[in-house]
Amino acid sequence: MTYRLSEDQAALRDAIRILADERIAPRAAEIDRTAEFPWDVKELLASHDVLSLPFPEEYGGLGGDLLTVCLAVEQISRVCATSGLILAVQELASLPLLLAGTDEQKARWFPDLAAGRLLIAFALTEAEAGSDVAAARTRARRDGDADGADWILNGSKRFISQGSVADLIAVFAVTADGDDVPRHERLTCFIVEKDMPGFSVERVEHKMGIRGSPTAELGFRDVRIPDANRVGAVGEGFSIAMRTLDRSRPGIAAQAVGIAQGALEVAAAYASDRKQFGKPIAEFQMIQAMLADMDAQTEAARQLLYKAATEIDAGASDASRWSAMCKLVAGDTAMRVTTDAVQVLGGYGYIDEFPVERMMRDAKITQIYEGTQQIQRLVIARALTAHR
Amino acid sequence: MRIVVLVKPVPDTASGGERLRPDDWRLDRAAIPAVVNANDEYALEAALKLAEAHGGEVVLVSMAGPGAPETMRKALAMGAASGTLVTDEQLGGSDTLSTARVLAGALADMEYDLVLAGADSSDGGAGVVPAGIATLLGLPYLSYAAKIEPDPAARTVRVHRISPTGYEVLEAPLPALIVATQALGEPRYPSLKGIMAARSKTLETKTLVDVAVGAGPVGGAAATSRVVGSEAPSPRAATRVIREPADEAARLVVEFLAERRII
Amino acid sequence: MPGDAIWVHGELAADGSLAKISTEVATLARTVGETAGRQVVGVVVGADPAAAAAELARFVPRVLALTEPATADHAAGTIVGQRLAGLIEREQPAFLLTGAGPEGRDVAGVVSALTGWGVLVNAVGVTWDDGPVVQMSVFGGKLTTTSRLTEERGIVTVRPNVVTAEPAAAPGSVEAGNIFGELDLPLVRIVDRVEAAGVAAPIEEARIIVAGGRGVGGPDGFKVVNDLAEALGGAVGATRAAVDSGWIPYAQQIGQTGKIVKPALYLALGISGAIQHKVGMQTAGTIVAINRDPDAPIAEFADVVVIGDLFEVAPALLAALRARAG
Repeated sequence: MTYRLSEDQAALRDAIRILADERIAPRAAEIDRTAEFPWDVKELLASHDVLSLPFPEEYGGLGGDLLTVCLAVEQISRVCATSGLILAVQELASLPLLLAGTDEQKARWFPDLAAGRLLIAFALTEAEAGSDVAAARTRARRDGDADGADWILNGSKRFISQGSVADLIAVFAVTADGDDVPRHERLTCFIVEKDMPGFSVERVEHKMGIRGSPTAELGFRDVRIPDANRVGAVGEGFSIAMRTLDRSRPGIAAQAVGIAQGALEVAAAYASDRKQFGKPIAEFQMIQAMLADMDAQTEAARQLLYKAATEIDAGASDASRWSAMCKLVAGDTAMRVTTDAVQVLGGYGYIDEFPVERMMRDAKITQIYEGTQQIQRLVIARALTAHR
Repeated sequence: MRIVVLVKPVPDTASGGERLRPDDWRLDRAAIPAVVNANDEYALEAALKLAEAHGGEVVLVSMAGPGAPETMRKALAMGAASGTLVTDEQLGGSDTLSTARVLAGALADMEYDLVLAGADSSDGGAGVVPAGIATLLGLPYLSYAAKIEPDPAARTVRVHRISPTGYEVLEAPLPALIVATQALGEPRYPSLKGIMAARSKTLETKTLVDVAVGAGPVGGAAATSRVVGSEAPSPRAATRVIREPADEAARLVVEFLAERRII
Repeated sequence: MPGDAIWVHGELAADGSLAKISTEVATLARTVGETAGRQVVGVVVGADPAAAAAELARFVPRVLALTEPATADHAAGTIVGQRLAGLIEREQPAFLLTGAGPEGRDVAGVVSALTGWGVLVNAVGVTWDDGPVVQMSVFGGKLTTTSRLTEERGIVTVRPNVVTAEPAAAPGSVEAGNIFGELDLPLVRIVDRVEAAGVAAPIEEARIIVAGGRGVGGPDGFKVVNDLAEALGGAVGATRAAVDSGWIPYAQQIGQTGKIVKPALYLALGISGAIQHKVGMQTAGTIVAINRDPDAPIAEFADVVVIGDLFEVAPALLAALRARAG
């Protein structure tokens, strides 16, 4: 990155900002209030080719790099975190196929995913396996010994974003668990199609924030999966998951930066209009200090994000470090900025007449999913001290 | 159909930051980011619609400084297939005659059915360059078009030219040069597909040497006019704000207009 | 003296009369000519130039009337430009003044390319100091520049409403001129002429303009705009937003991509005053705005702004004007 966005990156960012402001922002409060998945926003993003950004051109995508996808997620999340997540999840869940899928698999699914005709979800987490990914218990066993035999999947996944609306699920299941099998070679990745018998949506959670994005518990009862739906080699699942998260964490960082920016803009506009003691509160130093810190921190998180995405796109060997850092800083920034935004608005910040209380509730998840802030810190510390 | 659209990068008026260079009073094009001249976007939109309806492609031609490629990318993102930029240090400070000569020179070895130009540019828009280009190239000149209807089979084009009392219907053989107006229809926003596709579209650069220039000198040195001074106009008096209810406000306005002898 | 005359191009309206802008440019040319001590000559080219030439002669001492039948059913700009260029070559004047409207610009562009003369455009003022000195309003009115030609000959296009037309003390003479040679440039045939219903004189020529913007809300909202314009004897204008929404034709659009106007009074209803519109009207003599938003940009540069609902204030204003007239 030459410290400036290229002209098409800037053009794309501006085009999506306009789309978000004009067509998505008016829906944001209602999406949060009804906690219903916004199919209309998904259609809007699909029809404007936004969902095709992460996919290669040869499959009908726009071949956007990670930074470009992040720019889009950021602009949408500025007005609606739930809507921003639609693109972020479509990218996240497609990464296993992007990274390890065969050409046949890509040709089979990418065109529909790029067009937004199909949605895909990423099912790694389980009730007993959150940060401890390798402790997963969902299992897939081969049905017979023949090469290319089907797999039978049993188990459940929890806290799966958009799991109840997805057409395809990238599921990570244990395929080998003997004592001689290293922890990180136990998992394999499979694409489950929602119509496969035995697949069920067990529940959808009621959440603090991103309420329009359904977070589901998924059940798998003797689900028969053709070997052609296996992504990558047997035992490669953990590696695929980690490489996926390296590339998808910036998407969450982008969501967080977007949320922070949205909150900052509301707070700044409010402070300029709201008069107390004879003048706009934006002229009082304590408010100015808060707004200044909010702006500087958001910008810092943004620049770290852009740099991280650029490094990851360039194939940097320390991609994990960049990915963890940008998500760590952005998530904490979003929480801090939205909390301060509520404070700037005072009583009005606490009621749903203004969007900042929603933004604060939305921000919290960015410190939790795709690796908690604590996990991010472990990743960074290990990268720092590994060679010493 | 092959349609050439003449586009000009101009300072973005929305930014409010336009200014003259203090040393030679030329427009300071480096001061603020450039955008495609608004009227040219209407011309481009008309061209894109014609290419969609009749088949064919739209190409851009521009005479501009070195920062132009960035601006032309947006025009490419709208759907133009490629572009030619004539850029040369000597061209800075060109007047309308020079601009017409250079653009005519660039068009001279191109093939096209139509050349479309915007009515004038927001950065000092003379509105005389398209007529000059048509004259130099011997092209039929149809100005102030509210509607363009080519008949590729018959190799003619009909244009509704806006007149003070309505419009005239003009007809000319192809190729022809048409000046577009806003009445042709709002320019499209570039789609994401268009923005991403613009990256790989060709934007070729030509210098004065590459372009056979129509008779006569060109460039800033040959300018037939120069700015000799500038000043801010005297500021308007402070605004008088009337907040009274409608009837009283109306009375005050009528009083004001009478005072100023307007009514 | 040959070689230093100031010429004025007289534009013909569709009905053969002289366009209003030409009476203003002619007045300006006469004033400049008097200061400069130079001959001022008007030139009219058309299929039937007699009426326009006679009218132009009220403003300048001498008029050349060229009969060019081709303009009867062919687009005039290129034809007039060629005949003027030919005449310039033979008579060798020093300067040519035209209007800066569509007709004048077309002619100026053609003449410039044929003669190699430079063009100073969109003059809001022309004075004389051993050559024409031209004022232009640029950057949306933020700056007024003064420019000169670098040679001793050239073209100046002049904006409408820059001077008030004033006939000379005594009318001048009209001579019939001859056209020579063929027209080399391609002719564009006029196949039809269509009058749009209810289109008044060009809006640039109006002394009073009442304009509506987004705040007017729709084509029905324009009724009060029309009524006010009628009551004031003015023309109706609009912002780009109103035109793009289809509430009013493009011919009445004022602004960066529409017309630039300089009326004595500009009454703006429901117009925010964003820069793209501002550049079209800010040099108006008096600006009165009615807007519900006290922070709208127009509130900063209008002479008077009424903060209120235009659907209450405008009818009240209409009633007050009618009462005064009645």
